[in-house]
Amino acid sequence: MALTSSPGGATGAGSPDPRRRPVLECAGLTKSFGTRLAVDGMGFRIFEGEVYGLLGPNGAGKTTTMKMVCGLLEPDQGTITIAGQQAIGNLDVKALIGYVPQDVALYPDLTARENLEFLARLYKLGRRTVAARVDEALELTELTDRRNDRLDSFSGGMKRRMNIAAGLLNHPKLLVLDEPTVGVDPQSRHAILERVQAFGREGLAVVYTTHYMEEAERVCDRVGIIDHGHLIAEGTRRELVAQLGEQDRISLSATGDLERLAEACRGVTGVTNAATAENSVHLVAAEGRRLLPAILEAADAAGIAVTSVDVVEPDLEAVFLNLTGTALRE
Amino acid sequence: MRTALAIARKDLRQRIRDRSAIVVGVIAPVVIAGLMSLAFNGVNNFHFTLGLVELDHGPVAAQLVRALDAPQLKRVITLRTVGTPAQASSEIRSGVLAAALVIPAGFSSSVTGQHPDALTTLTSNNATIAGDVATSVASSFVAQVNADRLAFATAVAAGAPKRDTSQLVGLVAGLRIPLQAVERPIGAHELKVISYYSPGMAIFFLLFTISYTARSFFVDRSQGMIERMRAAPVRPVEILAGKALSVFVYGVVSLATIGVVTTAAFGADWGAPAPAAVLGLVLVFSVICLTALTIGLARTQRQAEGIGSIVVFGLALLGGNFFFISSAPSTIKHLALLTPNGWAIRGFTDLATIGGGFATIVEPVVAILIFSAVIGAAALSLARRAVTS
Repeated sequence: MALTSSPGGATGAGSPDPRRRPVLECAGLTKSFGTRLAVDGMGFRIFEGEVYGLLGPNGAGKTTTMKMVCGLLEPDQGTITIAGQQAIGNLDVKALIGYVPQDVALYPDLTARENLEFLARLYKLGRRTVAARVDEALELTELTDRRNDRLDSFSGGMKRRMNIAAGLLNHPKLLVLDEPTVGVDPQSRHAILERVQAFGREGLAVVYTTHYMEEAERVCDRVGIIDHGHLIAEGTRRELVAQLGEQDRISLSATGDLERLAEACRGVTGVTNAATAENSVHLVAAEGRRLLPAILEAADAAGIAVTSVDVVEPDLEAVFLNLTGTALRE
Repeated sequence: MRTALAIARKDLRQRIRDRSAIVVGVIAPVVIAGLMSLAFNGVNNFHFTLGLVELDHGPVAAQLVRALDAPQLKRVITLRTVGTPAQASSEIRSGVLAAALVIPAGFSSSVTGQHPDALTTLTSNNATIAGDVATSVASSFVAQVNADRLAFATAVAAGAPKRDTSQLVGLVAGLRIPLQAVERPIGAHELKVISYYSPGMAIFFLLFTISYTARSFFVDRSQGMIERMRAAPVRPVEILAGKALSVFVYGVVSLATIGVVTTAAFGADWGAPAPAAVLGLVLVFSVICLTALTIGLARTQRQAEGIGSIVVFGLALLGGNFFFISSAPSTIKHLALLTPNGWAIRGFTDLATIGGGFATIVEPVVAILIFSAVIGAAALSLARRAVTS
């Protein structure tokens, strides 16, 4: 099991087939903005046919890392290798990357076809190839029938799909998806996640950044957990969860001072971590069910009314909480 | 180059689709040049009705009336006799007359005395130029009379016999001040108002390309499009070249269309087509450099709009796009030589008046290229930073 921040941590049960070639190799990536250290010594490898999730809260350094991989930011230190070629400052390597930014980056006043044709031409493809790639991308994202409609007439989900289509035009070896489902309705989200899984099956190396734990669990072969610019753990879901042992994640919904509730729970023997998240408090505890009476008693003593309790099997949320002492979505 | 072409093509497609760009690029300059031509057309064909209140009926007054009725003045003045100064004032107020000249009773006899009566011009604030012309004509006549008086007085003081006085009066009355100011334009043709305002307005609206393009660059950036382009194998300079190319094509098409339309519809004279085209191309190049500088200096879309507006109106005011630079104070005339639009207007008007082909535009073209080189050098590194930041 790999729980290190060193590059090439993909070993052990569920790790990629060692015969597969790495498509992306990052080592010692560091990036500062002024005095703020955004990414600190990041390293990881991604193999062909693998969907790799970078999981972390907002501001953890996911987008900065992806921008360095895509050549949009130059790292202060470290190396990036894509398909065996040194990537930093190498314009040609960009032809191997498909970049899908976090926000929809397309022209609302152009049609779907015009947008994709323009972006395809940036890869210096011939006219026929451009036409073929545009058709292919539209078909893949099921937007062929809307090809001549302007983007500003599209729904949010359709725009997201177009955003992904634009990242596929150059037939990339590495597809970088930066939080592609933010603000998307459940149906479109499901379609996007299905498509991402299919990319992996088709042999593409995919980096998928998200702060949605359930997405990472669903689509990613391996997950790197990132916090404050550090890769704090890496492995398959099973590998990461296994480090929690017999611990459970307990989710308490309550009204009142959640921070006070978390503090009270930390005092209960057996609770290893407690953190607030949105309208609830998440706990990691050994034998969670057995501890419930003590936890509720502590909440009552703190003057907090708990409205619901949910004990779940260990998951990536619990792993993150256990590693960082904070919830994924604070 | 293929990438720059793709970017330019996309920008132009968006620009054509945005109808306001067509309005700003073609329709507005043509309409405003036409309106300005209509408004200032009187400068080319100045004419007014002058009232004459002749209360003297003496020989000197008759001489003045003959002078006012001279064929040289008929193009400018229509003379209309009025009975009294009060009637003349009333007709000026009602707009029948633009100004009036009053020859007082006893004017002729007073000319030979010690205290000659004064000629009076009645003027109105609604027709100041007519008033100035009437006063000028009267002053010119008075100057002649005074010259006659001086000549007569000098002869008498020198001891001319008294018996010869009437002969002497006749002699001096025949003399005329020999020096006269004669206007002769240096160009082969007179500059028509429309030939000034057509390039003036075309260039003014061409300058709007600066703020439009700078703003669209920052819109692209805020939409993540510049980042998306940079994620492809595209150099920052190719992105800038694409933007520049779209400005170039738009600017050239806009200038050419306005040139053709104003020539055909209003009879504007832009000079010989080939040198006018060269001047236009050089001007558009300077607009590209100014656009790059605006992009380089701004950090946000709003800043780009603000800087663009300052550049557009600053250059238009200094360069003489709104008014004849020849009638501006000397400071403005000198400042106009620091602007590409000022030089371009000078070039176009020289082509329309002097003619002379390429030789006529050498100075404006060199001046605009020097301006572009200075601005372009400063802009290039700044604009590159705007693309990569």
